[in-house]
Amino acid sequence: MTIQTKARLTAPYEDRIVTAFTACSIVWAILGMTAGVYAAAELVWPQLNFGLPWLSFGRIRTAHTNLVLFGFGVSALIGTSFYSVQRTSHVRLFAPWLAWSVFYAWQLAIVLGAWSLLAGWNGGKEYAELEWPFDIAITVAWLAYAVVFFGTIARRKIAPIYISNWFYGSLIIVVAMLHVVNNLALPATLGKSYSLFPGAQDAIVQWWYGHNAVGFLLTGGFLGMLYYFLPKQAEQPIWSYRLSIVAFWAFVYSYIWAGPHHLHYTAIPEWVQSLGVVMSLVLLAPSWATMINGVMTVSNAWQKLRTDPALKFIVLALVFYGLATFEGPMMAIRSVNVMSHFTEWTIGHVHSGALGWNAMITFGTFYFLVPRLAGRPLHSVQLANMHFWLALTGTLLYILSMWAAGLSQSLLWLSLDDLGAVRYSFVDVMRAMAPYYLLRLLAGILFLIGTVLMAVNLLRTFAGVRTVEVAPPILATTHREATVGTS
Amino acid sequence: MLSSATPRAPLRQFGAALLAPYAAMADLGEHPPSSARVFFGAALWLGLCPPLFAFVGTTVFGWRLGVDPIFLPRSTVAAISAAYFALLLVGLLSTAVVARWMAVTYGADTSFSRCLALVTLVGTPLAVGSVVHLYPDAYLNLVVLVPTLSWSMFLLYRGLPIVLKTDPARGMLMASSLIAYVLISWVTLLCVTAVLWGLGIGPRIAT
Repeated sequence: MTIQTKARLTAPYEDRIVTAFTACSIVWAILGMTAGVYAAAELVWPQLNFGLPWLSFGRIRTAHTNLVLFGFGVSALIGTSFYSVQRTSHVRLFAPWLAWSVFYAWQLAIVLGAWSLLAGWNGGKEYAELEWPFDIAITVAWLAYAVVFFGTIARRKIAPIYISNWFYGSLIIVVAMLHVVNNLALPATLGKSYSLFPGAQDAIVQWWYGHNAVGFLLTGGFLGMLYYFLPKQAEQPIWSYRLSIVAFWAFVYSYIWAGPHHLHYTAIPEWVQSLGVVMSLVLLAPSWATMINGVMTVSNAWQKLRTDPALKFIVLALVFYGLATFEGPMMAIRSVNVMSHFTEWTIGHVHSGALGWNAMITFGTFYFLVPRLAGRPLHSVQLANMHFWLALTGTLLYILSMWAAGLSQSLLWLSLDDLGAVRYSFVDVMRAMAPYYLLRLLAGILFLIGTVLMAVNLLRTFAGVRTVEVAPPILATTHREATVGTS
Repeated sequence: MLSSATPRAPLRQFGAALLAPYAAMADLGEHPPSSARVFFGAALWLGLCPPLFAFVGTTVFGWRLGVDPIFLPRSTVAAISAAYFALLLVGLLSTAVVARWMAVTYGADTSFSRCLALVTLVGTPLAVGSVVHLYPDAYLNLVVLVPTLSWSMFLLYRGLPIVLKTDPARGMLMASSLIAYVLISWVTLLCVTAVLWGLGIGPRIAT
């Protein structure tokens, strides 16, 4: 073995970048959730915009969704994928300088992107509001991320590619495809562009993007996180590895078709809507296969629940994952959608996934990850337990209040008088919603307080130390060399 | 002493969940009543409370959704209340069956009577809290029933390991799985209601 080869094999994992992404993810979580709480407060007290355009609901809400999705969510996904891909490949991250470029580019895009949204730049497509200069910058950063991730896998010392990497890989490939296609536009000025797609086609492309951002980012990406960190935390192998592979391919195949269920009763062809419904219902099978796999893995590790606060978050994340992935297909059915769409029920559904599944699994992962990065135990288990109950209460209160609000809304909107005219005006219905908005605000505050407690706890855990250096295990003959015969 | 040899009336046994929850859990764990006693002595009567209160409230005050009260014909209210009662009983029994099925995985006692007792215990605060149905203002009901639901969840998480005789950590997992089942059932109910409504099967508003 040459000196260079030996040095490359013994070089420690590049974990400082994981620490950096984790820290930024937590900062974006707090800022994004604060924006969400502020937007919720504006729905109760509209005067909170103080007549300032950049404080108006439309801008604050967009900043909220972008910060939590791309700041909190994607930073967590990139960071955890860098952590797990090194360990499942037994090799240091490929091109660390490029990985650091991804980090700085991504954080800069979030800062400037949030600023541009508050300033009123908006492409007009939900979850793809950032204007064309950001779209190009994000594409470049994302491709660099792909090079680092797949470059690491290409240099792996273990022949099989572990299941978490399949999910992270699908996230990278599909999000690149969605982002580029949906953002094809003609720039008019620096801050304004117009979509290349006309009318109904634009709507179909937008919700092909929108639903698969939910699918491959909020579901697939976070399943990558689950498949690596759940077995590590539980100290148990996945209950059925075979099931995880089957679920992966079924998930990838079926998710991509489901977007049109966002466009029921619109100008798009009815058969396209029906296809969206059928594929949404099919999607239940791979979603629940994964849930069952996760639940059974935890069930074999129940002893760890006594001491490990992180595992509780994962258990609850699986519960809400099961709920959200069941509720979604149900809401895709046209006769349910006629009641649920455009009401608060949809907002509740989104948050049962975003708070209950995405945030909970990320919190659980951070409680596992940060003590290991710091090389010392978690600062306070009690604080983590408090966070758990605040997060659970906040999520449940949010969902319940939005269910009640949504059902009331649909009842009132669908109520006709003797002449067939709507019985209640939009203003009547909005006024009736105010008390529920207050409850939702309370739910958001509880969830935010929990997140701040986590930030304090993790900061204290990391205070005064540097990221621990961990070297990949060196095997006399690596598994890959033994399998594929390359030495 | 709660652990006296003479069994207490089931309604009193479950009613204790409101004031002395730990004693009620311990009592049920030590002296689980038979399925028939749980069902006919407590569950049936507790299950009758929400539809009864809802019937009275809806006919007297009408549904209040933040706009003018919505009144329904008495026959429609009676039909909805009867369906509500039937659904509660189906929900109670099916949850007990599911709990019994899950008990094998989580090393808990698999007797149906204990599972039924647990589900009835958890449902007791909600049944009593349903007194708020007497004034069917949707927001008031939410504000009262959310804390009540929290109390029920506390009884589920703390009570399950005691009543079903399993380790608290495994009990936490089983309780979470049961919550998943209940949430899924609730969403199914919402969606079935929406489909029926879409088909034209639903309440007619009195004019």
